[in-house]
Amino acid sequence: MRGYVLSRLAQTALVVFLSLTAVFGMVRLGGDPVLLFMPMDIQAKDVNEFRQRLGFNDPLPVQYGRFLAGAVRGDFGESLRYRRDAMGLVVERLPATLLLGSTSLLLTLLVAVPLGIVSAVRRDTLVDHVGTVATVLGQATPGFWLGLMLIYLFSVHLRWLPTGGTGTAAHLVMPSIVLAAFFAARIARLTRSAVLDALHEDYVQTARAKGLAEVRVVGKHTLRNSAIPIVTLAGLEAGQLLGGAVITETIFAWPGVGRLTVQALLNRDFPVVMAAVFLTSLTYTMLNLAVDLLYGWLDPRVRVRA
Amino acid sequence: MKRTKAWLGVGITLVVVTAAVAAPWLTPHDPLRADLTSGLRPPGSPGHPLGTDQLGRDLLARVLHGARLALFIGICTVVITMVVGGVLGLLAGFVERWPSAIVMRLADVQLSFPFILLAMTINAIVGLGLRNIILSLSAAGWVVYARVIRGEVLSVKQRDYVHAAAALGIGRARLLWRHVLPNVAPSIVVVASLQFSQFVVAEAAISFLGFGVQPPTPAWGSMLAEGRDFLYVAWWLAAFPGAALALTALGVNLLGDWLRDTFDPKLRV
Amino acid sequence: MRRPTALAVLLVVVLAAASFAQDRGRGKEIVVGLGAEPRTLLAVTIVDWTTNTQIEHIYDRLLDRDAKTLKPKPMLATSWKLVNDTTWEFALRQGVKFHNGEPFTAQAVKATFDYMLDPAAKSHYATSSYWKPVKEVQVVNDYTVRLITEKPYPSLLDHAALTDFLVMPAKALREPGGVQKLAQHPIGTGPFRFVEWKRDERLVLERNPDYWAGPADVSRVTFRFIPEFSARLAALLSGEIDIMKDVPPQVADTVDRSGRAKVRATVSSRINYLALVNLKPGPMQDLRVRRAMNHAVDVEELIAQVLKGRATRVCGPLAPTNVDYAPVECFKHDPERARALFKEAGVDPAKLSLTLDTPSGRYPLDKDVSLAIAAQLQRLGITTNVVANEWGTHLDKIKNRNTGDLFFLGWGPALFGQGTMEPLFRADQTYSSYGNNKVLDEKIARAVTIVDAKGRAAAYAELQKLVHEEAPWVFLWQQHDLYGVAAHVEWQPRADEKVWMYEAKVTPR
Repeated sequence: MRGYVLSRLAQTALVVFLSLTAVFGMVRLGGDPVLLFMPMDIQAKDVNEFRQRLGFNDPLPVQYGRFLAGAVRGDFGESLRYRRDAMGLVVERLPATLLLGSTSLLLTLLVAVPLGIVSAVRRDTLVDHVGTVATVLGQATPGFWLGLMLIYLFSVHLRWLPTGGTGTAAHLVMPSIVLAAFFAARIARLTRSAVLDALHEDYVQTARAKGLAEVRVVGKHTLRNSAIPIVTLAGLEAGQLLGGAVITETIFAWPGVGRLTVQALLNRDFPVVMAAVFLTSLTYTMLNLAVDLLYGWLDPRVRVRA
Repeated sequence: MKRTKAWLGVGITLVVVTAAVAAPWLTPHDPLRADLTSGLRPPGSPGHPLGTDQLGRDLLARVLHGARLALFIGICTVVITMVVGGVLGLLAGFVERWPSAIVMRLADVQLSFPFILLAMTINAIVGLGLRNIILSLSAAGWVVYARVIRGEVLSVKQRDYVHAAAALGIGRARLLWRHVLPNVAPSIVVVASLQFSQFVVAEAAISFLGFGVQPPTPAWGSMLAEGRDFLYVAWWLAAFPGAALALTALGVNLLGDWLRDTFDPKLRV
Repeated sequence: MRRPTALAVLLVVVLAAASFAQDRGRGKEIVVGLGAEPRTLLAVTIVDWTTNTQIEHIYDRLLDRDAKTLKPKPMLATSWKLVNDTTWEFALRQGVKFHNGEPFTAQAVKATFDYMLDPAAKSHYATSSYWKPVKEVQVVNDYTVRLITEKPYPSLLDHAALTDFLVMPAKALREPGGVQKLAQHPIGTGPFRFVEWKRDERLVLERNPDYWAGPADVSRVTFRFIPEFSARLAALLSGEIDIMKDVPPQVADTVDRSGRAKVRATVSSRINYLALVNLKPGPMQDLRVRRAMNHAVDVEELIAQVLKGRATRVCGPLAPTNVDYAPVECFKHDPERARALFKEAGVDPAKLSLTLDTPSGRYPLDKDVSLAIAAQLQRLGITTNVVANEWGTHLDKIKNRNTGDLFFLGWGPALFGQGTMEPLFRADQTYSSYGNNKVLDEKIARAVTIVDAKGRAAAYAELQKLVHEEAPWVFLWQQHDLYGVAAHVEWQPRADEKVWMYEAKVTPR
């Protein structure tokens, strides 16, 4: 286990380093990067002075080294709009995003896993069909569209829930449903097929033959074995959950990293964009590490293979 | 149930494709032509079965031409990602040592950026437009192919007949052609179909947020964003592009499910 | 397993709904939904309506304006007089205190000026069309201050009666690091005190019980920043905000019928125009092309069909609400005339491809109007690419002369001639699209110094005629400001765009 943990940590460090490099390269895709880092109200004649001051005249390796040195300390420069350190701004918004993300994840697991299990155990019954339709629709419905419709129904018509913003638990309801919808559909389908697979395994048949109650068969023998693919997918998809947060947060004016990123992109505030993109990547990488370690703990074979 | 789903998938996909291909013949209207005197006509108005938008543009024409754009973007990104991901996957599978390690770490890095965020950021940097949205989505989508193909190559290489073939001095190119491609093709088709709907929805989301296809080009995402301002007086402006988008995603998803169940039931994407 | 889960979910929803319901009982609080947050909390720094309309609840102006006549009236200054052509004297109100207890005196006026003119402040107001003409601020005594200008500057009074001069406290401003502190926690003499600013979310103010003109009826004002029309509308109809700026005209009836809010409309002094940029190479440098554009665009149709009649056409650079307004003849919609002019200029409309930059959501239906203009130009065969920009980007493009041949912009509150003619028709000004016309430059420079009423009227009348003939814009309209106002709030919008909650009354629910 220790070797496994160490090798995963080394891989993670490499990925973090590479993603930093990607962020550094990204802002150079469009040609002259200085245009992305100048304050709004700069005059054309001052551009060169700015280029000098920000060090864009130095050789690329020097710029890269300086960028890495800064990034290690969490320094991505100063936000052009807020005139504060960019990473600080992003970190301030992280709790809101994590709150939304974890609520959605919880909601997903509370709804999707039971739904998947029931669908599998009661295969080809009405429950299964309804579940299938729901998951297929859930996967096809675009989140931003669902969000608009929910606002129309629950805020404007029924006035049960606020249209956006934060403050109370009620503000969390619609954003987490929208964020969870797509995710839940995938998890439910995966749970269903994983449980179906497990139900066909020999030891489950044996357990049944022994006369164990169906609840125990499913609960003890099936679930643990189905857990691995579910956990894997949850980890893989966490990145898309963070991506989905970009849209959900924008629609519901949720003050998280996603909305900050969209606004920074609209305002062309690239220090903030870089900080946000990197922090998102870092969060995902860490989640993935956690999932992998969990995976190694659930399934001893993994450790050996690694 | 399974058959119903499969037929539904095929049917919906056919409808969407037909609508896109035949758009100019299905409606006499130009999707860009505004007629200010007949703005915000409800569905069922004479000459405008789906109504008109705030500038009097025919909504049916816009939704149909939106389908063209969506399918075009979807197909382009799928082809590009398939080629890029395929090549990288083959490379990583055949040349195990460091190329494999590099490709797999690149894939990890790629996955660590949520692809909507990545595509939006790239667009904001290099500029908005059809070409850039296709490229930025592609930049984010190659990973799945690379992983699937690499896995397939690795497993094919383990098989006895391949060892035998190698012993007989059959070159890598032939090995690839005769043994790897036929094995990997079904997985690729399945992945492509499932990715396709994801790309179409992602493009709409990005355009909805204003970082994709620009007005007045009729893209479903930007139509939804425009229709949002009139949601309370003209529900159809947001309803039809949204429905078209959901329908397309549904059809292609069902089709993808059916392909997977038929060709590659073990694949999980 | 399933039943407890369902119960838990239900419990969460019920608790959430309950806490939300509590949130609704807001008493005498007013929530105003605006499109954007302030760009700074410091006074006299940024020329931006959104910023200043919010912070003027904290800071007072030197002079106010009458809501109906729009004439200057006393505020922090109780009276004013012209000592000679270049010296204005203001008598200041006594017994006024800043929110931190510091007394308001002539020193505050001077300190605010010093801050603004300091290059480090990068104030937009330190330019020639605002306060640069003032060369000295003389503190005569605690309650008398004189502003001395280089040349006669009759518009000084008009600027003093706008958010162009909001007064900050002298001591707080002058202490080391004082500017940064004020930017974090603004202190003024206004009817509301600063409570908190949650970036990208809201600005919260509370009633100043010691306000010199008596405390406001409203106990708390919250500005919520909601960029999209549709989201603001949803918030208004769901009761989360009480006042919404810019109800789209198509939705006005829906709001009125909702029973929750009414639309309150006013003809604004703000004009909207389509700039035909002559400051960069392109077809718009040709006068005949600019005139052709004015004949090609059907302004009446835009007003009737896109804005549903919620706009009043203007034919020159100034609107009737402007004190220096003089009527000019309108360009008639005449495609034939337009074609003839294009031909004369050697321009083939079918080969003409233009780019139109528009903001999206800053002015009533701005993007839709731009798309409609593109559609009208299409009728003559002209191709127009509409580029919708985020507001900050749009202003940047204008400032850096990076727009296309055309851009859409609004200008206001436009209450006096100098405030429009000087900043918009001279090449060296921040927001101008047209310039390098020597005759016009000279006439503007002369008009802005004329103190005598008759001479001034004649000079501005001549300028308006000249500008009209030069066709630097497609002259569009005065916008009608449509506000959605919740049923329990009593408040009327004003032509000078002052959205002032001191004037609002609330019936607690």
